[in-house]
Amino acid sequence: MKFHPLIRRAGAFGLAAALYATVAHADADTDLVKRGEYLARAADCVACHTAPGGKPYAGGYGIESPLGTIYSTNITPSKQGGIGGYSEAQFDAALRHGIRADGAHLYPAMPYTSYAKLAPDDVSALYQYFMHGVEPVDGAAKATELPFPFSVRLAMAGWNLLFLDKAPFQPDPAKSEEWNRGAYLVEALEHCSSCHTPRNALMAESTSQAYAGGALGAWYAPNITSDPVSGLGDWSEAEVVQYLKTGRVVGKAQAAGPMAEAVEHSLQHLSDADLKAIAVYVKGLPEIRDARDQQPGHSFGKAHSDEATLRGVAGVSASNSAAGAELFSAVCASCHQPTGSGTRDQYYPSLSHNTTLGRGDARNLVAVILHGVVRRADGKDVFMPGFGADSLVNPLSDAQIADVANYTLQHYGNPELKVSAQDVALARQGGEPPLLAKLPGLLPWLVGAVVVIIGLIAWLIGRRRKG
Amino acid sequence: MSDNLSADVVVIGSGVAGALVASELAAAGASVLMLEAGPRLERWRIVENFRNQADKDDFQRPYPAAKHAPHPEYAPDNDYLILKGPDAKSYASQYLRVVGGTTWHWAASAWRFLPNDFTMKSTYGVGRDWGIGYDELEPYYYRAEVELGVSGPNDGTDLGSPRRQPYPMDHLLLSYNDQRFYDVLNANGFKLVSEPVARNSRPYDQRPTCCGNNNCMPICPIAAMYSGIIHVDKAERAGTKLLTNAVVYRLEVDAQDRIVAAHYKDPDGNSHRVTGKYFVLAANALESVKILLMSATDKWKNGLANSSDQVGRNLMDHPGTGVTFLADEPLWPGRGPMEMTSIVDHRDGEFRREWASKKLHLNNQVQTRHATLKALSMGLTGKALDDEIRYRSAHTVNINSFHDILPEPDNRMRLSDQKDALGLPRPEITYQIGDYTKKSAVHTHEAYAKIAELFGCREIEFSDSFAPNNHLMGSVIMGADPRDSVVDGQCRAHDHANLYMATSGVMASAGSVNCTLTIAALSLRIADTLKQALGKAS
Repeated sequence: MKFHPLIRRAGAFGLAAALYATVAHADADTDLVKRGEYLARAADCVACHTAPGGKPYAGGYGIESPLGTIYSTNITPSKQGGIGGYSEAQFDAALRHGIRADGAHLYPAMPYTSYAKLAPDDVSALYQYFMHGVEPVDGAAKATELPFPFSVRLAMAGWNLLFLDKAPFQPDPAKSEEWNRGAYLVEALEHCSSCHTPRNALMAESTSQAYAGGALGAWYAPNITSDPVSGLGDWSEAEVVQYLKTGRVVGKAQAAGPMAEAVEHSLQHLSDADLKAIAVYVKGLPEIRDARDQQPGHSFGKAHSDEATLRGVAGVSASNSAAGAELFSAVCASCHQPTGSGTRDQYYPSLSHNTTLGRGDARNLVAVILHGVVRRADGKDVFMPGFGADSLVNPLSDAQIADVANYTLQHYGNPELKVSAQDVALARQGGEPPLLAKLPGLLPWLVGAVVVIIGLIAWLIGRRRKG
Repeated sequence: MSDNLSADVVVIGSGVAGALVASELAAAGASVLMLEAGPRLERWRIVENFRNQADKDDFQRPYPAAKHAPHPEYAPDNDYLILKGPDAKSYASQYLRVVGGTTWHWAASAWRFLPNDFTMKSTYGVGRDWGIGYDELEPYYYRAEVELGVSGPNDGTDLGSPRRQPYPMDHLLLSYNDQRFYDVLNANGFKLVSEPVARNSRPYDQRPTCCGNNNCMPICPIAAMYSGIIHVDKAERAGTKLLTNAVVYRLEVDAQDRIVAAHYKDPDGNSHRVTGKYFVLAANALESVKILLMSATDKWKNGLANSSDQVGRNLMDHPGTGVTFLADEPLWPGRGPMEMTSIVDHRDGEFRREWASKKLHLNNQVQTRHATLKALSMGLTGKALDDEIRYRSAHTVNINSFHDILPEPDNRMRLSDQKDALGLPRPEITYQIGDYTKKSAVHTHEAYAKIAELFGCREIEFSDSFAPNNHLMGSVIMGADPRDSVVDGQCRAHDHANLYMATSGVMASAGSVNCTLTIAALSLRIADTLKQALGKAS
């Protein structure tokens, strides 16, 4: 069936109007501010624009990027330190195109490539919220100082030319209203692809691998396509909603690291209807299979305990070295139980049937052991201590973490996976750096070489002309 | 190599006292050197040692004593402490010489002393006055509660020690066992309270909530319970240099009576010397005395800081008695931590002129081991054995107590002629428990009988002989008068302007509660004094 272009347009417009009208009656400013507040939650602005222990939106949160630490800015309405002097057009340019009021370019740590899809009405609501609903805080946040050549912000103009699609979100009239609302939330506000889509050599999202999973420092944002093995194919919609609302689904997975922050600051605050819409959209993402995956990540493992063989064999010792089974017993089993099955209420989750140990990738297991789990959702604290260098419970060495990770993988997770002490050392440093970050030492030389070559060609041409 | 080490502050001992001082001073920008006689044990190793040991009630066992820095072991007895006197066995104390100190295996009870505990002589005409009052210490008590992470009854329960701020954390929900006791005892004229503890009731200071492993002693496997190692780690991360296996055996004093150096032996017996501007002796109440006495010179014939001849005297503890019986209802001790509630109706009052104050506490340790040993001794087998174990595990009640004791100069520690592996003298202790305490214990016995009656008791067994409770106090006693005390109100040696003592040894009364929070508060106060002295106060 083919629509007349005009009808199609009207249809799309009507659909769009319905989508964006989640908070009714924007006739009073307070309603608009309230809508903006909801949208700001959905966009999770607070997560990056608030320093630990700092005032909301006052910036200064250090985002560890492979290129160096990028500090978020003060986006409170303070004229002195924040964005109080921004017009709505300037706000829009920053939000959707990554250009500050002074004309300088933002780094794409600010997910403006996602926010570019925001509807103009929502940009207005967000502007109203940030001007009238947020407490102004004077004082600029700590400035970002990346090393050369990344310090040249103008370079982002070229990057934007390649990777920034400035078109706002266009609803697909062939899909349901719910799907479209989900698409808008996922693609624009929640900017899910920022983490779940792998990045190419120039740090842009690789569109051919959309939502197939991407590295995030020491963490790994998993495949959330509808593939039944690598992705969320065999999760029900209700399970996806529960995960987004509480950060966990018993027998499948739990949110840690950056995803725990997304649940805590943003997702748990969304309306049930919006969470359902996200689930509908995510469940419809095109399947992408990771060739390494043979079975779903949550299908591995079973209860296992070595306690009976340990006791009576291992004695009392003053030595601080031991093998995986003993480390597991001492470090993990006090909460996750000697069988690794967790507690009956699963507050302490089972290690088997747990995607952290079951995927084709052990990065999240290592990251969880190093950094623990901190998540406040659903009115409850979930906390697992980390065992990294800053641990106040028991800092473990690279070799110890590798030993305990391999023990748990062997018995409770994907036994094909192996973790080495080097993997742990790398995770401590924030994970495998991307190609671009390995280049900075080389880049000035490359640029220099190109300039020299161009100069040489020009000289040759000049000589020929003369000759 | 390390002979050349020098620092603003040299801290001797890495338990809760030394670690708090080191962590505070290092964070303020001072250079700090911390010397620990024993080795570093990782938490996981201690947990595994506990799980591998047969006798779960031997709290020293998971911490094997180092040959060069022995600490008391009783199963088998290593005779490290040489005990003499009529009540020698009642001072068979446990303490640890390892990085982090003895709070690795405490019960985490984090009580404040009562205002009257500081003025026993002037209020009740017995014992001594500290020379400082509760009010001076109150802000430091709170800081200690924040540093250690104390959870307590924020519901208005009056524990007799006035407080300006609520506990940093609310208390944990009582176990069923403790809740039943709470209900029954408070309805029958006793005052039973949820006790303040340095144990997480929510995630706090990067450490998890208690999940009820029920082996706080000898080791919390998840660090939900505070231990001195927490501030050792913080001190090191703030820049403190920690030397392990460094057995200090002498403080060197100059002509102006200032301490100029600490001498230590490594495990091979080689001597080393470190220097500093200030010295903090935080090596526990007995080992600190040992160092002072070993440092004797021609001028300081009785040892350093000892012009009063009080170093090593006035030894106190909390002599304990107990009772065990079978209740007529299942109480199932063992859920949650090992101790949660205390009976506090005789912590203060005019009676203290005549007999000792005290605190009674319900044991919430899981009883399966004792139940099994008893059932086996009854010759049972098969289902009868299982049933008996189950019954006893559910119905066994055990209550223990701390009694106050007066500081008596004759209760003392001296250097023995017997030496350890490094050739250093062992502590020799003479101890006698007086009538002041014994009178109170008779009253405690009656209270036990009443409580047992409330629970329809069977098989009641009293333990009336005094047990040690490892709260070693009085050995470097605080006082206003240099002629009869070792340190002043700032915990500074009367005799040496740059020597401070961060230990329960300074405590001039024993009161009726665990002494760790008071040690922590005094240590934070020492840290403040030294920050001022070093110009590092913020």
